[in-house]
Amino acid sequence: MAQLAINNITKTFGDTSVLKGISLDIQDGEFVSLVGPSGCGKSTLLRIIAGLEEPSGGHIMIAGTDVTSTRASDRNLSMVFQSYALYPHLTVAENIAVPLRMRTMNATQRLPLIGRVMPGASDKAKEIAQAVQHAANVLEIDLLLDRKPGQLSGGQRQRVALGRALVREPAAFLLDEPLSNLDAKLRVQTRSEIAELHRRLNATFIYVTHDQVEAMTMSDRIAVMMGGEILQCAPPEVVYDDPDDIRVAEFIGSPKINILPVERTERDLFLFGQRLPLTAKLDAPALLQIGLRPEALRLTKTAPLMTGQVAHCENLGSEIFAQIALDEHTGRVVIKATPEERHKLSLGAKVGLGFAATDALVFGPKGKRLRDIEATACSVSEVA
Amino acid sequence: MVTLDTSSRPVRRAASPTKRQARTAWGLTAPALTLMLLILLVPVAVAGLLSFTNYSLGNSGFDWVGIQNYERLFTRSTYAKMFIATFTYVVTVVPISVGLGLGAALVVNSMGRIGDIYKTIYFLPVMATLLAMAIAWEFMLHPSIGAVNRTLEMGCGTWLETLPFFAKGCADGFPLWLGDRDYAIWVICFIGIWQGFGFNMVLYLAGLTSVHRELYHAAEMDGAKTGWERFRLVTWPALGPTTVFVVTISCIRAFQVFDTIEAFWPQGGGPNKSAYVMMFAIFEKGIQQNLIGIGSAITMLFLVFVMFLTLIQRWLVERKVHYG
Ligand SMILES: Nc1ncnc2c1ncn2[C@@H]1O[C@H](COP(=O)(O)OP(=O)(O)OP(=O)(O)O)[C@@H](O)[C@H]1O
Ligand SMILES: [Mg+2]
Repeated sequence: MAQLAINNITKTFGDTSVLKGISLDIQDGEFVSLVGPSGCGKSTLLRIIAGLEEPSGGHIMIAGTDVTSTRASDRNLSMVFQSYALYPHLTVAENIAVPLRMRTMNATQRLPLIGRVMPGASDKAKEIAQAVQHAANVLEIDLLLDRKPGQLSGGQRQRVALGRALVREPAAFLLDEPLSNLDAKLRVQTRSEIAELHRRLNATFIYVTHDQVEAMTMSDRIAVMMGGEILQCAPPEVVYDDPDDIRVAEFIGSPKINILPVERTERDLFLFGQRLPLTAKLDAPALLQIGLRPEALRLTKTAPLMTGQVAHCENLGSEIFAQIALDEHTGRVVIKATPEERHKLSLGAKVGLGFAATDALVFGPKGKRLRDIEATACSVSEVA
Repeated sequence: MVTLDTSSRPVRRAASPTKRQARTAWGLTAPALTLMLLILLVPVAVAGLLSFTNYSLGNSGFDWVGIQNYERLFTRSTYAKMFIATFTYVVTVVPISVGLGLGAALVVNSMGRIGDIYKTIYFLPVMATLLAMAIAWEFMLHPSIGAVNRTLEMGCGTWLETLPFFAKGCADGFPLWLGDRDYAIWVICFIGIWQGFGFNMVLYLAGLTSVHRELYHAAEMDGAKTGWERFRLVTWPALGPTTVFVVTISCIRAFQVFDTIEAFWPQGGGPNKSAYVMMFAIFEKGIQQNLIGIGSAITMLFLVFVMFLTLIQRWLVERKVHYG
């Protein structure tokens, strides 16, 4: 259990720079998710924290001590590898027991055959067997304990790898996409197991994932990585509702946020020639972008800000996502509608769209969020 | 009769494709089976039969002598020496050349670029003809003008003389090596190791490439701090199948040692028959002295050893080191 500080970490492989100055402070007992597109350097960062890869620059501190030059086995961290990395010659039980055997038994106690009769060895072996059994029960692999990794399915292997990491109580857990190969049901279940384990141990977790739902539901904070940088690290609701960067807004949220071009004249903002109830500073760029979440867009007949035709409709039962081809613009926008509104969304139907000014996220031309935009609620009263 | 006929018809129909397939299968395997029979099994069977006779090449007939040939193998002192020489060679050369091969492979594997040079150097003796190499060794080991004893003599008069070996050598002359019955078999062992370990190294290098790199990282995270712990946890188990293969091949090659002995002592297999190994015995009895019966008996024994080793290998591969 320890706090972790990542200080301006850079990493280059030959000429390609993979990490470009990553800084991140993780509190004791915090659950931080690293999300980002494939190849953005998540695993590399995790391996640098673990000590398996040397950073080109920067420092890693664990519980206040600089461990940048400490070797991996002395950092007291536990890791689940993206490729599982199970020992093929050992059974599931032996695999899970390895970290405990390595760290709690001395060299003579670990010897084959003779080790068993060494003083204290049998007590320790019993403790280890119990811990293994417990981990296996939690992960539902207790029936597989005598098998070799070669005889397991991908998901089962992943759970063994998870068991091997969770059987110890290290300073922090590093999990690299630990649920990527599980089926939906098991994924939900293991997700809650990990969350519960986090609550019970109150341990520090760094959790790499592609899955936004995992990141949103489990983490205290989400760090969105892209192109070797952390764009934003904030609690899930902040990352979703109040993103710092257009790339964060686009990466988080499914379906994707709608991005539309906006022009500024004086202090007023215009969307396809229509004035928006927003006022900008006079020094803001002339061309801006606004981001609108699907749930921020509403169907409306009175004074719509946009009009278009329904191009595609996905009914998920509890909610409907409809793609609207805009009249004013070549792109499509996605809106979220309730099942009651389904009759309005037949294919090809003409619809009008509106949104509340406070829900619009305004970004500069480079994608940085502009926060000094004010909503002027007075002008239009288009509430349906 | 009519009822029987109708009932048997579907059965015949069902059976005929299976039968046809079986016939085709036999037809297709026949050439391979015939070749195996002619090239492998028939000669072994003939050798087995001949081992119970006193046949000589050129004789028009032969007598059955029962197990007399085998009896001789286990009672005469020459053959006792043969077994001692052979087993000394196998027991010395196999573990050392396997161990050195593994060690060299681990070192070469961890060296990167420079490793390639060592790889080539260690592999050179494997590629060279042992017969030609034996002549070079014979020069080097010559008691008076050989490089080995000349080098040893340079140690005389220095602190090395405190060692009993040097003290004795400087006073009475260094060993005759190939002419000394205490040294001859060890010299043969040394040359066998020198020549063979490069081959084992190459096999181990191939085995090492199949070790998943991430496993070392996992071992590191699990707390394996020393190189030895990582070797025990990751490398050695991963090399299990390679080791079984390397040991078996080395054993068989060690049983087959012949050319060094033939090159050094064409008549007789070393001073006082101290390097009279099985292969040489087969050659001497069966070919030089035209005693086909006894030669066949030694051959059969040789085959039993090799067969035994192969069976152990199969058993190990299937049971112990297969991680399916
Ligand atoms: N040993 C290496 N040598 C050269 N380039 C590497 C090496 N390891 C990783 N990279 C590069 O670094 C980048 C980041 O890799 P990394 O494995 O960290 O991605 P990731 O974010 O974990 O992706 P994924 O989500 O697909 O696992 C990739 O572009 C990859 O090609
Ligand atoms: Mg990765």
